[in-house]
Amino acid sequence: MNAKPFHLNRTLLILIILLVVIAIWKPVALIYGFQRGGLYALIALPLALILGIIGILNLGHGDFLTLAMYIGYLLFENLKIDPLLSMVPLFFIFLALGMGIYMITIKYVLKSGELNQLILTFGISMVIIQMAELIWTTRPRNLYVSYASSSVSFLDFSVGTYEFLYPALAIGVLIALRLFLKKTKLGQAATAVGQNPRGAEIVGIDTNRVYFTVFSISIGILGIAAGVMLPRTSIFPLTGSPYTLKSFALVAMAGLGDLNGILIGGITLGIAEAVIQSIPGYGGWSDLVFFGVLLAVILTRAYRRSES
Amino acid sequence: MKRSAVLVVCLAVLFSVVFAAEPIKIGAVSPLGDITGKESTRAMQLAVKEINDAGGVLGRPLQLIIMDDEMKPASGAAAIDKLATVDKVDFFVGGMGSGVHLAEIPALKKYQKVTVWIGAADHNCENAVGADADWYFHLHPWDYQQGEGYGIAWTEIAKAYNIKIEKVFLAYEEGAFGTGSYTSYVDFFNQAKKGQGSWAAVMKQFVGASFKSASLGGGDYRAILNQAKSFNPDLFVWAGYDADAVPIVAQAKEVNFTPKLFVGAPPGWPANYGKNPLAENVILYGMWSPTLSDVSPAAKHFFDAYVKMYGEEPTGYFAPLGYINIYFLAEGIKKAGSLDKNAVIKALEKVEFKDTALGEPLKITPSKVVKHQGFKYQKILQWQNGKQQVIWPLDLATAKLVYPFSFKK
Repeated sequence: MNAKPFHLNRTLLILIILLVVIAIWKPVALIYGFQRGGLYALIALPLALILGIIGILNLGHGDFLTLAMYIGYLLFENLKIDPLLSMVPLFFIFLALGMGIYMITIKYVLKSGELNQLILTFGISMVIIQMAELIWTTRPRNLYVSYASSSVSFLDFSVGTYEFLYPALAIGVLIALRLFLKKTKLGQAATAVGQNPRGAEIVGIDTNRVYFTVFSISIGILGIAAGVMLPRTSIFPLTGSPYTLKSFALVAMAGLGDLNGILIGGITLGIAEAVIQSIPGYGGWSDLVFFGVLLAVILTRAYRRSES
Repeated sequence: MKRSAVLVVCLAVLFSVVFAAEPIKIGAVSPLGDITGKESTRAMQLAVKEINDAGGVLGRPLQLIIMDDEMKPASGAAAIDKLATVDKVDFFVGGMGSGVHLAEIPALKKYQKVTVWIGAADHNCENAVGADADWYFHLHPWDYQQGEGYGIAWTEIAKAYNIKIEKVFLAYEEGAFGTGSYTSYVDFFNQAKKGQGSWAAVMKQFVGASFKSASLGGGDYRAILNQAKSFNPDLFVWAGYDADAVPIVAQAKEVNFTPKLFVGAPPGWPANYGKNPLAENVILYGMWSPTLSDVSPAAKHFFDAYVKMYGEEPTGYFAPLGYINIYFLAEGIKKAGSLDKNAVIKALEKVEFKDTALGEPLKITPSKVVKHQGFKYQKILQWQNGKQQVIWPLDLATAKLVYPFSFKK
């Protein structure tokens, strides 16, 4: 038990030293990594919520993000709603979609095996991708807002300001989720269900209601992420798919139910990626580093557990 | 006796009419789910309609039987088999992806029907077809021809506009397409260092760096753009996919990277790219632009007819290529006077169009391996006020080059 604070301090110390070294060596990479890591965290947070509380492996996570981006694109093209403002309607549209998906599909596989859940969510993913291909074809779509490529200059560098919204929103969503889980009755019930669903049921918590709410909120958060990504991302049927794997990786790195860990992990991986990309000739190694860092963290944690 | 003679004559006329009405079957294989395949087959149908409306070929109508290769090699090969054995087509046309074509080539070799292909730029396809395949006609330029053409183009542009092009930076996506482009540029640079090849005058320095395409989960180009900015190239080329087109230029603006020539070389462009203010003055490699209608009667005819038939403009060069695909074959059959394979091959070798839907002449010449190659080079285009203007070939130019590149205020 005494070893834990020592480990925590040591980890923090190593992290701070690393950040200082990177800040001196590659200041721009540090900023890019912070921004990109914020996006990874923003997208992974709702998956962490679903996995931590409902325990369902949602393989369609990134595809819901894709769908939200297409809806956001339509709102911009047809109703001229600014992508940042569209985060609000997108949240509610996808909250409702999450409710519908839960009632029609997820609800029925909660008590069946993980393989059934995987097949179901894989099916949902395929439906979204194929539907997008049929309606919007494989040609990417983009929208233009001038503020998305604004920048500030310092020394010889020019750094984009828009992507600071990613970590800012990730922090905002994290705070909102923590408040929800700690300060509301439903949130407290969700935490209880996440820790021990059978026990929660015995003490009278309506677990189905908890699952319904948590799943819907998670899909709704993807609407927010889609809104902020719209001005900087090409939209095509597979836009969101790679984020599913990255989000699972982040959840594995942070540990089930650790929402703070998602933010720290996301930024750590973002910085690791950005540093590698900034070294000429080694850009192609970024995925290797991303998953290398992930493996290192998981193995270190496992080693510590076995020690304690 | 008289009655019998009349009956025989009537039967003969009837038989000849029935025989004459039997269509000439053309089997087309394209990726119908992709915009390139969709548009090329639409243009083929347009050409078939025009030809049939004008009386067909050798008094017989053309019948186009279209198969979807689904951009899958196995589906492409199966489509060739089905067209040859079930539909019993007389000729093969179509094409897009090189990977799919590599799988189709063994099937095409099995049937050895006259084939006019408009896709597949990868030289490995040419090697797979081999020099003996006299039944094979390839209209799309091979990859090495395209690279050679760009060198010629930049040399002529540098001379015509009196600009300096010496430092070239290639940002390439890390997959097969991008690394293939990089390898070609390295070859050209090695030749240029010896004073040889089409790039000799415009490639004194060369740097290449890879990025992860947005199509494959990437989309952050800032590191590579900063590397390019430090190099300060005269010519910046990115070889990625359509999903990279807008984000890469947006991020170039963000990091304040303004190369004198900003060139994109993806196989396709996103929807409405020209309407995006960030596209202004971006240069692209391609074979066709709607603005060619201003300088080429054949390109104008194709464009107007396509828009009239489908109510929308074609978005890429596979549409005019598909149109030419059918007209080229039809002209060969017409010249041959029959469907005899050797006669058609001989006739196709002699087909020569002074103007085509691509705005340029078409004549068959040998390439490195195959005997029958159509077009050799791509064009240099530039987005100006939402339109793709032709900058090179200089004799087909629809506008002057806007130089140096800058972002629209």
